[in-house]
Amino acid sequence: MSRTTASDRLRRVLAIVPYIVANPGQKVAALADRFGVSEKSLLEDLSVVFMVGLPPYSPDSLIDVEIDDESRVTIGLADYFSRPLRLTPAQGLGLVAASDALLSVPGTDPDGSLAQALRKLGNVLGMSDGDSVDVFLGSAETSVLEQLRSAVTSGLEIDLEYYSYGRDATSRRRVAPWRVFADSGFWYLHAWCHLADGERLFRVDRIEAVADTGTPSTVLPDPSAAEKGVFNASDTDPNVVLRLASSDRWIIEAFPCEVVADEGDTFDISLVISAVPWLQRLLVRLGSKVEVVAEDGLPQASDLAYEAASRILQRYHQ
Amino acid sequence: MSVNKLERLLNLTAVLLNTSRPLSADELRQKVEGYPPPGAAFHRAFERDKDDLRVLGVPLKVERVPATDPPVDGYRIDPEEYYLPDPDLEGDELAALHLASLTVRLDGLDDQEALWKLGGLGATDSPGLQGDEVIGVGQMVASIPTDPGLVPIFQAISEGASIVFVYGGTERELDPWRLDFHRGRWYLTGYDRLREDERNFRLDRIEGEVRRSGQPIVHLPKPATSEEPRRPWEVGADEPTVASLLVDASRVAGARRQLGDHVQIDERPDGSAVFTVPVTRYDAFRYFVLGFMEFAELLEPAEWRQDIITWLEAIVVRHEASTESPA
Repeated sequence: MSRTTASDRLRRVLAIVPYIVANPGQKVAALADRFGVSEKSLLEDLSVVFMVGLPPYSPDSLIDVEIDDESRVTIGLADYFSRPLRLTPAQGLGLVAASDALLSVPGTDPDGSLAQALRKLGNVLGMSDGDSVDVFLGSAETSVLEQLRSAVTSGLEIDLEYYSYGRDATSRRRVAPWRVFADSGFWYLHAWCHLADGERLFRVDRIEAVADTGTPSTVLPDPSAAEKGVFNASDTDPNVVLRLASSDRWIIEAFPCEVVADEGDTFDISLVISAVPWLQRLLVRLGSKVEVVAEDGLPQASDLAYEAASRILQRYHQ
Repeated sequence: MSVNKLERLLNLTAVLLNTSRPLSADELRQKVEGYPPPGAAFHRAFERDKDDLRVLGVPLKVERVPATDPPVDGYRIDPEEYYLPDPDLEGDELAALHLASLTVRLDGLDDQEALWKLGGLGATDSPGLQGDEVIGVGQMVASIPTDPGLVPIFQAISEGASIVFVYGGTERELDPWRLDFHRGRWYLTGYDRLREDERNFRLDRIEGEVRRSGQPIVHLPKPATSEEPRRPWEVGADEPTVASLLVDASRVAGARRQLGDHVQIDERPDGSAVFTVPVTRYDAFRYFVLGFMEFAELLEPAEWRQDIITWLEAIVVRHEASTESPA
């Protein structure tokens, strides 16, 4: 336990001391604030630094830490700690990826402080053109995203024109917006939907229009709901098992499903179906090779592809 | 206990940074305060300290102490390798990085120490702070999954080193250029030395470890072709075939979003529209077109239109066969 503490504090000291060496005379409170640590732990760290130096550990070879009457800090005789330790590859990646991701958010100034910071960081990390990492959180229209964001901030309800992919239909609904976030390549609005009388996740790129209502939200977010995943299958949703050719293996990663059998040439997946039109579309797209092996709660699943294929063929034969 | 240990690690780092010749373990024991007397206890403490420094990313060099026979290991830290070059960040830039680290998080990676090294968290009330126009400060908007290969690949890109890994059952040697995250996945782009061409790889499909080949990269990165990630039917280097897709009025808005701005659209008086789409992968495009069900129709090229009809007829035939002779 004490080992972890020592090495965590080592990280902090090795990072903060060079800053104080380079920027003498700053107050303890300002330093604590800048590094997001308490004044108490900062003072504890400084009291250790005071004891550090080079052999023979005489006063003139120990690091000189001075805190004056107005609690301004100066560190001397610490030339070897004049610069912090390099960023580890993981640290460099973390900052570069987060910055690049935020820059991909529609509405962020492409030439602002963040872009400048990323460019400077890239130079230090040996990324020649700042183009080595590209994070794309999802496409969304700037105006829609901004309207949603402002509705969340102001706590006002909005009316959405929303295209439901599962049901293949557009509907108008009033919602109390809670949170806007990105997950797995898409932007989502987490909200209370008055039409459904329940909480819902809306894909931002399927919101066709947003209208302000000026009405304050009356339904507040359930704190436990905030961290829920994007796919919330309900226990009562029906389940199907599909047998697919091995060339369709990409589907395992494209949808939340479970591989229940694997014969090499073919494999079986179990899918929870929350909307029948969605399954119907999937079956048509997968074609005549796909087989519905089991259809718990969906007695007509085998007929779905046939019905859909006939409807589409009618159009082509007109 | 932990203060002593911290003190000792700081003293050890100071001594190692300040020496120009490698120091043996025994010399370090004598120079650095806080070590136990020679023997097993010292050995254990010294091994742990070396591990602790390495975990932090301290570039601890092991070299032979000059004029020793039998050879004795010596240790030092090259200040050039240790010191972070000053990126010279302004207060608002540091604050922008802080904001980025608060709003977007890579799973399992902590940015706090990195921000400390760069000079702290910056001033959060700094004028010109980007991003808070779109999202509230401190509200995390995205969490990005990581992959075991991610950090080693990033490091190889930074250092211009070529890498070796197994993909699709084959060993690949790659000059790595770029990491892309889109649609919830990490992709690696680089020059595949065996295929002698640019290739894309999904990180989660890399089998086993990503290793260094020991050689520097030979082929320099080509700039990324487009800002927006390519759609599944636009992937590949083949010459695209141009397809015409008629979409009903009720589905035009969705088609516009999915096909992107670079696609030509001819609107018709009834609100429907014909999209002219460059396609390199027909199977992915067929999948996309069928998603419109009966609300869209592939007009051209004629052989693809015929393929869709054949595709649908096969579903109908199969169903009729199964209902006529139930198994």
